[in-house]
Amino acid sequence: MCLEEIGFIKRRIDLARLFQPEDNQEARHTMSYALDTRSADDEAKKVKVRRRLHLLPYMLALPIVLYEVLFLVYPIVQGFIGSFQRIELASRQPPVWVGFSNYQRMLSDPEFWKVMRVTLTFTLLVIFVAVGAGLLTAVLFNRPFKFRGIARAAMMLPWSFPEVPVVMIFLWILSPQFGVVNIFARMLPGVNENPQWLLVPWLAMAWVVLIASWKAFPFYSLVILAALQSVPQELYEAAEVDGANRFQLFWHITIPSIRTTLELLVVLASIFSFKQFTIIYLLTGGGPSGATETIVMRIYNTAFRFYDYSYATALGVAGFIVSLIITAFFIGLQSRRAQEVA
Amino acid sequence: MNNALSQRAHQKSPVALVRHVVSRVLLYATIALVSIITIFPIYWMLVSTFQPSKYTLHYPPPLIPQEIIFNQFSDLFGNYPIARWLTNSLLIATMSMLLCLSLTVLGAYALSNLRWKGRSLFGMFLLVTQMLPEILIVIPLYIIYQRLNLTDRLSTLSLINVAFSLPICIWILKGVFDTVPGEVLDAAVVDGCTEWTALWRIVLPLAAPGLVAVAVVSFFSAWNEFLFAVIMLSSAELQPASVGLTTLKATGFTPVEQYMAAGLVFSILPVVFYLMMQRYIISGLTAGAVKG
Repeated sequence: MCLEEIGFIKRRIDLARLFQPEDNQEARHTMSYALDTRSADDEAKKVKVRRRLHLLPYMLALPIVLYEVLFLVYPIVQGFIGSFQRIELASRQPPVWVGFSNYQRMLSDPEFWKVMRVTLTFTLLVIFVAVGAGLLTAVLFNRPFKFRGIARAAMMLPWSFPEVPVVMIFLWILSPQFGVVNIFARMLPGVNENPQWLLVPWLAMAWVVLIASWKAFPFYSLVILAALQSVPQELYEAAEVDGANRFQLFWHITIPSIRTTLELLVVLASIFSFKQFTIIYLLTGGGPSGATETIVMRIYNTAFRFYDYSYATALGVAGFIVSLIITAFFIGLQSRRAQEVA
Repeated sequence: MNNALSQRAHQKSPVALVRHVVSRVLLYATIALVSIITIFPIYWMLVSTFQPSKYTLHYPPPLIPQEIIFNQFSDLFGNYPIARWLTNSLLIATMSMLLCLSLTVLGAYALSNLRWKGRSLFGMFLLVTQMLPEILIVIPLYIIYQRLNLTDRLSTLSLINVAFSLPICIWILKGVFDTVPGEVLDAAVVDGCTEWTALWRIVLPLAAPGLVAVAVVSFFSAWNEFLFAVIMLSSAELQPASVGLTTLKATGFTPVEQYMAAGLVFSILPVVFYLMMQRYIISGLTAGAVKG
């Protein structure tokens, strides 16, 4: 997940520039050419350079576009085609066309709707917990206090860990026999024995959400912190003079000032949590009895546990449509934000 | 806001002073609580690594380590093929990094310093490709590769990893290339440099830290990657560490200190480099696009 997060920070700035109608650099280019018209010799040289200028970007972008088409677009198209077929990989027989039967099966399958409900629950909970924790820590760590630098650096640690060791840590912490979390749980009234953390449906869902959020929130916190630092200090001072209290300051100044950032983060969090595979797969595998089986887990289980590739590709198309909708939201927000910047 | 508060506190009103002290205490208590909750899982990983399992395999385990040992690392490397796992990860990550780095330079230059029709379309294309869940690609890709007999190769895995890290890397390097002043490029072109040679002579030397950042991101995204590795590689000799580690079980056969040591060995490099990167990203954020 870290990857997308880093890219996102850059993109927030970059997209704003990309969408600006005015092309400053081009203006500068033309200017320098206009200033430099002395001899016919120079003129000929310039034309040559210009022609190369026009071809070069396409030649640079072409290998990348081809690469992504080969490894991403082509498989998706193949998957779309495959969802209308029956695929038997083991027997190496050519696929058979079966029309919409995979989709009919999907839409009439109560399991499918359960998977969609679990996906929605998981995604919404992670958005709420991770962005909420990000906001809380950003507001806290924006106030001056001793050791703030150390505290901020320590907070970034969960974000920097790879997902596999994160799950290893938590499987150990949640062990019903020796898990350290039991010490704290037993302090609660009514808990007299170590709970089976990952075998009780609602507890399993709670832990999957908590772990995914624990890993993700430092990134949201960092982005919100940057947004908080750009809120003009005079706004707070003016409101304080008018007698506003802490809560009013937060609600009427902080939140509106960082609203666009928060909206973007919510959409991003929905993309990241919708994509989440490794943590769920290693922690619960979708269990117990499907309580944490999101659509991504369902696709995996259908293809690689039940070897039903054609049905899995049909589920994949459903997942693709959902992720396209979220992405459309993201791009819409980005361009609105770009317009505000410009 | 806080300056105003503390100034008022100094103006010798006892009520304000008490309120100031209370709010400070509350602030520090909240910060301490939040930090402890955030750090505790990592603290527990370290405790479980360096403390003999006779303490941790006991309920309730002591929260403060009672004894420190170091032989778990040699035991780990002796009992499990972790050296081979790490070598495989290293190979996959290095191949991914080299390929990603060379393609990223081209893409970032086109996206940042050159003006052309279709540039924002190109940017949008990169954006959409990285939003797609990996699972959607992996099934058709697995079917295609099965038919072509391309599964179970480290190089295949690197190629797939690059497809997913390339868009993000291009966006990162584009941000760095943007800070190269347009005037410098214009001057180079007027002096007879082509835009192609300007990339190598002017833009790249100025963007050295950005190249390091891209190398780190592409290397460790392949190092950390799990889904493609678990599906595309079936033979045990080719397993990278991200897959190999999941065969260890804390409450089964692997002694706890070795289990957690394995996690630590695997995480140490990505954690160090991502944290280094993060400082770089923040300074990039706060400095913005400073033009020379």
